[in-house]
Amino acid sequence: MNDQPQRITLAEWDSRYAQLRAGGLTEPDYGGPLGRHVADGDVRLLKLRMDNSPAALRLWNFLLSEEDRLHRSAAEGKKLVGTMKDLGTVPVMAYSLDNLVAFYPDGAWWLPCLLGGGAGLLEIADSLGIDDSFCPVRALLGAFVAQSRFPIPGLLTCSVGATCDDFSAIAQRLESLGFPIVWWEIPHRRPPDAEEEAVELPGGFRAPAGQVAFVRSELGGVREALEAYAEQPLDDRRLAEGIARANRVRRLLADLRQLCFTADPCPLPALEMLIAEMLAIHFCSDHNETIHVLAGLLEEARRRADAHVGVLPADAVRLFWVNPVADLRVMNLLEDVGGRVCGADNMFCHALDPIPTDLPPLEALARMALADPMVGSAVERAGRICAEVQRFGARGVVISRIPGASHCAMEATIIADVIRGTLDVPAIEIEVPPLTDAIEPTLRTRLEALIEMVRVGRGIGDWGFRIAASHRPLTTSHYFP
Amino acid sequence: MNAVGYSSPFVPAEWIAAHGVRPERLRLHPTERLTRGMCPYAGALLDAALEGKGDRHLLPERPCGCFAQKVPVPFSGLVLATTCDQMRYVAAMLEQRGDRPIFLLNLPSTWQTPAARQLYLDELRRLGRFLVRLGGKAPSDEELTGVMLASNRAREEDRKNSRGPTARRKLSRWGDSCTVAPGGGSATATPTAPGIPLAILGGPLLETDCEFFALVERAGGRIVLDATEHGERTLPRPFDPSRLAADPLAELADAYFDTIPDAFQRPDTRLYEWLGRELAARQVRGIILHRYLWCDLWHAESQRLKQWSPTPVLELDVGPDDTAAPNRIQGRIEAFLEMLK
Repeated sequence: MNDQPQRITLAEWDSRYAQLRAGGLTEPDYGGPLGRHVADGDVRLLKLRMDNSPAALRLWNFLLSEEDRLHRSAAEGKKLVGTMKDLGTVPVMAYSLDNLVAFYPDGAWWLPCLLGGGAGLLEIADSLGIDDSFCPVRALLGAFVAQSRFPIPGLLTCSVGATCDDFSAIAQRLESLGFPIVWWEIPHRRPPDAEEEAVELPGGFRAPAGQVAFVRSELGGVREALEAYAEQPLDDRRLAEGIARANRVRRLLADLRQLCFTADPCPLPALEMLIAEMLAIHFCSDHNETIHVLAGLLEEARRRADAHVGVLPADAVRLFWVNPVADLRVMNLLEDVGGRVCGADNMFCHALDPIPTDLPPLEALARMALADPMVGSAVERAGRICAEVQRFGARGVVISRIPGASHCAMEATIIADVIRGTLDVPAIEIEVPPLTDAIEPTLRTRLEALIEMVRVGRGIGDWGFRIAASHRPLTTSHYFP
Repeated sequence: MNAVGYSSPFVPAEWIAAHGVRPERLRLHPTERLTRGMCPYAGALLDAALEGKGDRHLLPERPCGCFAQKVPVPFSGLVLATTCDQMRYVAAMLEQRGDRPIFLLNLPSTWQTPAARQLYLDELRRLGRFLVRLGGKAPSDEELTGVMLASNRAREEDRKNSRGPTARRKLSRWGDSCTVAPGGGSATATPTAPGIPLAILGGPLLETDCEFFALVERAGGRIVLDATEHGERTLPRPFDPSRLAADPLAELADAYFDTIPDAFQRPDTRLYEWLGRELAARQVRGIILHRYLWCDLWHAESQRLKQWSPTPVLELDVGPDDTAAPNRIQGRIEAFLEMLK
């Protein structure tokens, strides 16, 4: 059996799975060959190339079995909580109670990709007036109405305020269809004024103490809703234990990111790293198993790094990726054209930072929620991206637009401008729809051009970077084509 | 006197004026320089702010209700609000340029908790500090009360003076605009006036959209309820003199925060409650939903509005081409009115 790290197709995985099983592979109860998920409708897997390690197999099976897990939890008497939009805050609270299982209905965002077109979910959204001018998360509406992708949770929470208009509008539409929502507010994060008390947030942003207190009070409302639903008190002791468990996941991810974004050659592909990061926001409906899955990936990455082997050539160009891709295939594409991901901002960096443990739990969670890169100015977000680009040694940045997403109309311009003005690295913007097959040649060309630019810049004294980075005063023409 | 431009009806002009700063509601011209996904209003605001085109205030209005003359006035600052994603990103872009102070008012989407109302009040106090930094003077309670009572009188005067067959847009004393229904109020519409009574609903309007009202009239309709962001939907309730004595700023905050219904609020039930009352009072026979391309918040209301509304709804998705050449819009309005006849 060839154990060299590589990215393999689904057909190759099924052969490899048989070999691994014959070789004594043991799996958790959700294990099995990846090919079976295609029969469940996840046909996009046929277009992907996945890492060939048993750890990656476990990751994929864990991700793709979430629906079964939710049904099983409901059947076992657990209460389901749909936590929408906050990306990493309310799930920590929900998992502090032993009879609640939290998940993100927002995860329906990837259904149009995984199902190879939406399987009718998008048509339902269309019929409800939420057409393709909205972000692909509109598939969520179809999933609720059809009740075909996840069990309907007994409690729905949704953060609003400084969140994207798409989601706020879609969640409101959902409520109008008879799905009650507990709304809670995250205000737009702003720098403290000189006369205001300032608070340092996880990840380095700062906010006025008043804003933190406001979010804390909002989370107090969420806590009451969870307590009433669970019929259990959610006291500070339980919350602190929940935070400690969440931090364990975050530490594993931090180690994994540090290793995979810096080791040469690249130990794990970008696709698996993206999915691993996603586990941090809601633990894929099983907190303990998330820890096992991440620990397995980290062990595999360490083994490969120690052996100086990886899944990509050693000269793969180091790139930083901004925003998650609606089509997972694009992560493959980037690597196919000679790139590798060295750092990513998938819009939830705050869910990767350790939650402070030296503060009252709700205060710590409030600070973490307010550290969300998407709730503050895009200029601040760009600053954090620049720091991460430097930290991981990325030589170029890809800003991936999400079709229809309200924040994407202007954010790329702001982020790219800050990057070019600060770091002397090139940045490009691409748009990634849920299925990129029709535009793959265009995407390929854009990514190849970036990689070529970086390679040329390296070879002849970085002149290419300097041209891209020459600081220009901002004018209207700077923001408009 | 310093002048401050502002775009949201949730920015109380009285509070700005009480600081000795002139409040100027931004009236924007459409721009064709839009990036993909950018709503025409956000693009117009960005264009105006970067090019200085927003540095205008508006003088006497024409008979049609549009404003006839524009005189450049340098704004010493701009006040925007977090009503939508696009406004937040416009603010970020303008902050990045850094040549003019920008204040981004944090407007809560939720409205049912005391904490949300307190956040709004705190934001008004922060706006006050911003105005002082621009050269304004923090008002005493008496000064603020005086401005608020004058505003009450000005709005009442507007109502009395704006009788006519079609709702007209007026510029009130404090820089914000209001639309006054025929007969001067929601309960006093004139059902005998010619034209099919219609409501227009939606977000902010650009200056060229004033033509829209005339277009409706030419097609045989009349707007008896302007529920756009520049219309009466966004007028605060009259200030309660008995509460002014205790805490005028709290009364100001309550009047704005508790009264104005909007599509960005969660839940958005206040919008439908307000519409239900006003549609019935005006005997409205059709609703025109005027929304800009890429405005998710109003777009998402469209289908729900159609299902909820007791009268037919025409959804107008307005892009930059439509403001310059309104043939498509005109055709749709004419067809809508033919259906209602």
